[in-house]
Amino acid sequence: MQVGLVEEVIRGSPICRGIAIGKLFFLNRKEFAASDTPIHPNQTEREVERYRTALARSKQDLKRLQKQLEAESALEGILILEAQLEMLHDPLLTEEIEKEIRITNKNAEFVFQQALFKFKDQFQALNDTFFTERFKDLQDLSRRIFSYLNESGGQSIKDVLPHSIVCALELTASDAAEASSWYVGAFITENGGATSHAAIVAKAKGIPYVTNVNLEYLKQYPESSIIVDGRTGKIIINPGESTLKQYENLKKKMHGQIQDFKKAAKWPAQTFDGYTVRLTANLDSTQELDLINQLGGSGIGLFRSEYMFLPKYEVPSEEEQFQLYYHIVEKMKELPVVIRTFDLGGDKSSLHPTNSLGRNCVIGSRTTRHLLKEKDLLKTQLRAILRASEFGNISILFPMIATLAELREAKQLVHEAAQELKMKKIPRIGCMMEVPSACMVADHFAKECDFLSIGTNDLVQYSLAIDRSDQMLSEFYEPTDPSVIRLIKLITGEASRLNVPVSVCGEIASDPRFTPLLLGLGIQELSVAPRYLPIVKNAIRSVSIVDAVSLAEKALDLKTSQEILQLLVQEYKKNVPHDLFYNIS
Amino acid sequence: MKLIKKVQVKNRSGLHTRPATTIVKMLQNCKCDVSFIHKQETVNAKSILSILMLAAKKNSKITIVVDGEDADQTLNKLVEAFDNQFGE
Repeated sequence: MQVGLVEEVIRGSPICRGIAIGKLFFLNRKEFAASDTPIHPNQTEREVERYRTALARSKQDLKRLQKQLEAESALEGILILEAQLEMLHDPLLTEEIEKEIRITNKNAEFVFQQALFKFKDQFQALNDTFFTERFKDLQDLSRRIFSYLNESGGQSIKDVLPHSIVCALELTASDAAEASSWYVGAFITENGGATSHAAIVAKAKGIPYVTNVNLEYLKQYPESSIIVDGRTGKIIINPGESTLKQYENLKKKMHGQIQDFKKAAKWPAQTFDGYTVRLTANLDSTQELDLINQLGGSGIGLFRSEYMFLPKYEVPSEEEQFQLYYHIVEKMKELPVVIRTFDLGGDKSSLHPTNSLGRNCVIGSRTTRHLLKEKDLLKTQLRAILRASEFGNISILFPMIATLAELREAKQLVHEAAQELKMKKIPRIGCMMEVPSACMVADHFAKECDFLSIGTNDLVQYSLAIDRSDQMLSEFYEPTDPSVIRLIKLITGEASRLNVPVSVCGEIASDPRFTPLLLGLGIQELSVAPRYLPIVKNAIRSVSIVDAVSLAEKALDLKTSQEILQLLVQEYKKNVPHDLFYNIS
Repeated sequence: MKLIKKVQVKNRSGLHTRPATTIVKMLQNCKCDVSFIHKQETVNAKSILSILMLAAKKNSKITIVVDGEDADQTLNKLVEAFDNQFGE
């Protein structure tokens, strides 16, 4: 510990729980600027050779990545790499650049970058968002090429040192996806909400994450030791010896707790008075399939199918989709797999070519209502799902349905697809309950569905009229709002009369403090981020259904979100006093 | 031998990454020069970036020009690929 440094604490908003201790790493996404260096004419051939080597090494990289993706069955990713490989053979990047180096007698970095600028202008002039976006693949490839030319290219999360605390203005879902929990100790950002997709991915990987932090302030401490407490949002700069010891100890204990909870993977998800819950996992990436099996998930309660193809911008073909769905059911053996059809638009607008990118459309033309206008896109997906359903236990789930008419139209498409395929057996069909208008007539939906699934992230935003990606509103985004709790009760009440099971798959399902409340409200299935299977199972096993029901009754009488949250926090402290992640003294 | 033929882009998303990859792969070993003409723009069909920069959408017309010893064979393969929508 250095002498004379003052311990300092700043606060952000906690997003993902956990403790990290390390040094700051600022993710700098500024465009890399190559210096303009003249080359002596008799050195140009060496310069050309250097450029060729950079291309060759990039090619080796891509081939290796391709093998890796093949092992993970990420077919769409393979295609993107294949396109990049073809770009490495493109005469515009090979012959033309070599010619240019020889003519100008300039260094390879500079010539290559000038060419990139030209491509960028040409792509931007295309006047078609879909094709303009294709430049990103070239940009991605160019970073790799730059990194093999001597000067360093744009930084990537893959470049950080172990245990780094990665700071960025904003995190993209692919940043989070690329990050390995081995290297990234924690994330700190200025912007980004708790239900942003980057947050969901960070949670899935168990990487602590704090947002709403002033990065300019942190930049004064590039070499300081930093503690990030993802439970409270606390960031401690230059911790003193006793603070450091305390957090190191806590971190170790939390790690031990995770191991202990994991041991319970084989026990049933049952309350101690014998009420059994189906505890399943949300799936965003096929890499998590083994984890789900290891942690004792009893199926996949929500496969966010569009995640597979993000951020790839292209609509996958029926065959590619089929291969992917087949891979999943094969891995899950006989266990149920719920595939949610593409949920596009809102904050995930990138997949669809004709969608106007960058426009916020959380209440616009998105997801099922959007797909009903693009029937062939939905039909293709349904055909792929139906074909895969012959090999396992698949259900279809339609997102963002507001009216019964939309549900009927979507179901009609399933029947048409089945007819085309000459299939007699149709998988179970369910509907997401995330639009208040649908919740109000939950009985109608229950009559026409095999199951219902409550997506609380969207339900909260639509009930409270709060755009969940809007920073200014984040403090009003309260999943414990009495209106939300009552809507859940309304759905489970109607559905249970008709014997239709109801699951919850939003972020609150992964928060063990909500578990007793949800069980008490009559939820039979919880679908959680894979890493949260153990902690939620522990919460289920630590409560009795009798207590859960009386807790829910109490909550239904409370008037504010704060009171309800308080009740849940107290109850959790009573039921699971030894949990270090959610009990903060 | 020089051959010219007009084709139509039939697949939903136009000549995007997947078809462009298929095309350049297909042309990798052919011995002739191949160019695509679209909206008065002529590009080398062996360059994936050039094909993408055509931004050819569904239903747009492409003129294929092949020039070289295996022109006949190459043109047939290309036309077939456009016709079956690049397997999509």
